[in-house]
Amino acid sequence: MLLENIKSEYNQYKNQAEESAFFQLREKAFAEFDKSGFPTIKNEEWKYTNLKSIFDKNFKSTCVSSASVKNLLVDSLFNSIKANKLVFVNGSFNPELSSIIEKDSAIVISNLAKARKENTIVFDAHFGNYAKIENESLNAMNTALMSDGAFVYVPSNKKVENPIIIINVVDANDMNVLSQPRNLIILEKNAEACIVESYISVGVNASFINVVNEIYVNENAHLEHYKIQQQTGESYQNNYTQIFQEANTNINQVTLTLDGTMVRNNLHFYMNGKNCDTLLYGLYITEGSNHIDNHTRVDHAMPNCQSNELYKGIMKDKSTAVFNGKIMVHLDAQKTNAYQRNQNVLLDPEASINTKPQLEIFADDVKCTHGATIGQLDEEPMFYLRSRGIPEDVARKMLLNAFADDIAEKIKIPELVGLLEQLIEEKL
Amino acid sequence: MNEIEKIGNQTLSPLGRVGEGLLSIKNLKAEIEGKKILNGINLEVKAGEVHAIMGPNGAGKSTLSAVLAGRADYDVTEGSVTLDGKDLLDMSAEDRAREGVFLAFQYPIEIPGVSTTNFLKTAVNEKRKYQGLEPMEATDFLKLMRQKMEFVEMDKSLTSRSLNEGFSGGEKKRNEIFQMAMLEPKLSILDETDSGLDIDALRLVSEGVNKLRNKDNAYIVITHYQRLLDYIVPDFVHVLYKGRIVKSGDASLAKELELKGYDWIKAEVEANAKII
Ligand SMILES: Nc1ncnc2c1ncn2[C@@H]1O[C@H](COP(=O)(O)OP(=O)(O)OP(=O)(O)O)[C@@H](O)[C@H]1O
Ligand SMILES: [Mg+2]
Repeated sequence: MLLENIKSEYNQYKNQAEESAFFQLREKAFAEFDKSGFPTIKNEEWKYTNLKSIFDKNFKSTCVSSASVKNLLVDSLFNSIKANKLVFVNGSFNPELSSIIEKDSAIVISNLAKARKENTIVFDAHFGNYAKIENESLNAMNTALMSDGAFVYVPSNKKVENPIIIINVVDANDMNVLSQPRNLIILEKNAEACIVESYISVGVNASFINVVNEIYVNENAHLEHYKIQQQTGESYQNNYTQIFQEANTNINQVTLTLDGTMVRNNLHFYMNGKNCDTLLYGLYITEGSNHIDNHTRVDHAMPNCQSNELYKGIMKDKSTAVFNGKIMVHLDAQKTNAYQRNQNVLLDPEASINTKPQLEIFADDVKCTHGATIGQLDEEPMFYLRSRGIPEDVARKMLLNAFADDIAEKIKIPELVGLLEQLIEEKL
Repeated sequence: MNEIEKIGNQTLSPLGRVGEGLLSIKNLKAEIEGKKILNGINLEVKAGEVHAIMGPNGAGKSTLSAVLAGRADYDVTEGSVTLDGKDLLDMSAEDRAREGVFLAFQYPIEIPGVSTTNFLKTAVNEKRKYQGLEPMEATDFLKLMRQKMEFVEMDKSLTSRSLNEGFSGGEKKRNEIFQMAMLEPKLSILDETDSGLDIDALRLVSEGVNKLRNKDNAYIVITHYQRLLDYIVPDFVHVLYKGRIVKSGDASLAKELELKGYDWIKAEVEANAKII
């Protein structure tokens, strides 16, 4: 059924009078998707994440939005945070709910459908350049069917004063929702921005979000990029993010997956210049029978770059998680420093994690380490707290919060960190 | 020396040897992973007393403290321990603490992400809850904390940091005594609190302990050096060797050990073993 929904949606685009260049891209992408179909567990990269439960559902791409969306936004983490907000409901840009406070008119914070027409040069120079569609059928599907998403353009030497929050709301009150957001973010030389990608939802029906983020970071630019996933209800998400880094760029990326029936993140950095410095942090908290899969990949293609990755997971009930971290050190990437750690705490005997670090090193002068731990909380700190009269359950909560907050604190928006820590505390 | 002894006697005589039985250890045996470490410990500690435990490395001193504090890794295979007549071995670590046992660790660990203040507030209020008291008002708690911090001259900035994280060796030890001052235990076990403290800190911490001493509480002070016992003058000194208390005496025993080391005691033990 999902497949039929997708085909009929594609046929609608076919009948629309779109600029031919753009439709050609859709056509090519659709052919690519048609060729390989949805990934199955036979695909090594999808071994532990099975999409089949969404195949026989009927989805609709729809732009209706109920009154409950407003309430959801008021209750969201971001309501009181001073920021530029781009709100998309079921994939459609909602200008009434959005607010742009940036004063510098050279900085573009807008939606993709508009930018395609108004910022054609930048759009054409970057769109589709980073997220490949060959053998990535979900990227191909997004490219074939995308309608809108966020567009951010920060020219050279400009700094976006306040964070930019891209809020994706799913309203599944009336039907099963399919949406395919497409975000394009460009930081030119020496630019600086902080971008938050958020996913929230309301409604009893199912949703499938298939996101593609393309992010280009030109020389000496600094990007703070946070992904906060907290979709409730029966929600499926595939989130692909490709970050392309030129020389001397500095990136701090934090992914917090706090909810979702099934979430698959594909986070990919490509270091295309020397002296890049990339930090990747992740926190996933799973419960019930939820499944969260983080696939990360860092390509060290040039010398003297550094990447430091720390992903932490807390699994409850019968939930499952996957961590797959690939570090690829290319032949030319001498003096690479790459570190990776994945730490997991299983709170229930039926919870599980599949963790797999993958280092592929083709240069000889490099420093790479990786390590994964799976287990309960450490005995020693537990005993220390208990020896001061703190009961076991309270001590466990304190330690779990500390474990999780460590990642939340990598976010450099203090008000947001406070709210997130509260939220995490309630969850644990 | 003489002067210190005098001070010691003055402070001790009204307190020592008059209290009620507080801690009673009888024939305590414990092992870990099948390795026997405590081989029948007997020790009676009355309220108001200070007992020093000395003994060579690996004798079982830290093991004894851990077993008393309720560390689960050790299997107690025989014997009994009571605090105020209550069976201690039956209690969880947290209940022991709330009944008044405090262990100042030989190697306090770092707990990143748990703030010292939050940790102490939780500990103090959990103890109050156990005693049927309301949680402390935030302002009262902060006042108490300030007061006790001055007591061990602990730097204020330390409490805003994660528990022991990046603390120097001496700062960690001071933090243990600060926690002890906050929790006002009945029985404090100080496991080599003197190691890692500079000369001034040693005096300060000892003075702190002396100020906290009263007729209702007791101290077990584990140390390798007379230096600490110059300040905290013990009523009794015990030598622990191979998991047993092989010799007990008064403060002068520690001085004798300082001069002669442990060989003579070891020889005595071996000789006795042969006779048996
Ligand atoms: N977890 C453990 N596993 C195995 N052996 C242990 C363990 N804990 C303690 N031991 C052993 O028990 C013995 C007593 O150790 P303990 O730490 O109690 O000695 P101690 O008297 O405190 O020594 P020190 O003066 O060096 O602090 C040692 O031989 C030690 O190696
Ligand atoms: Mg010891």
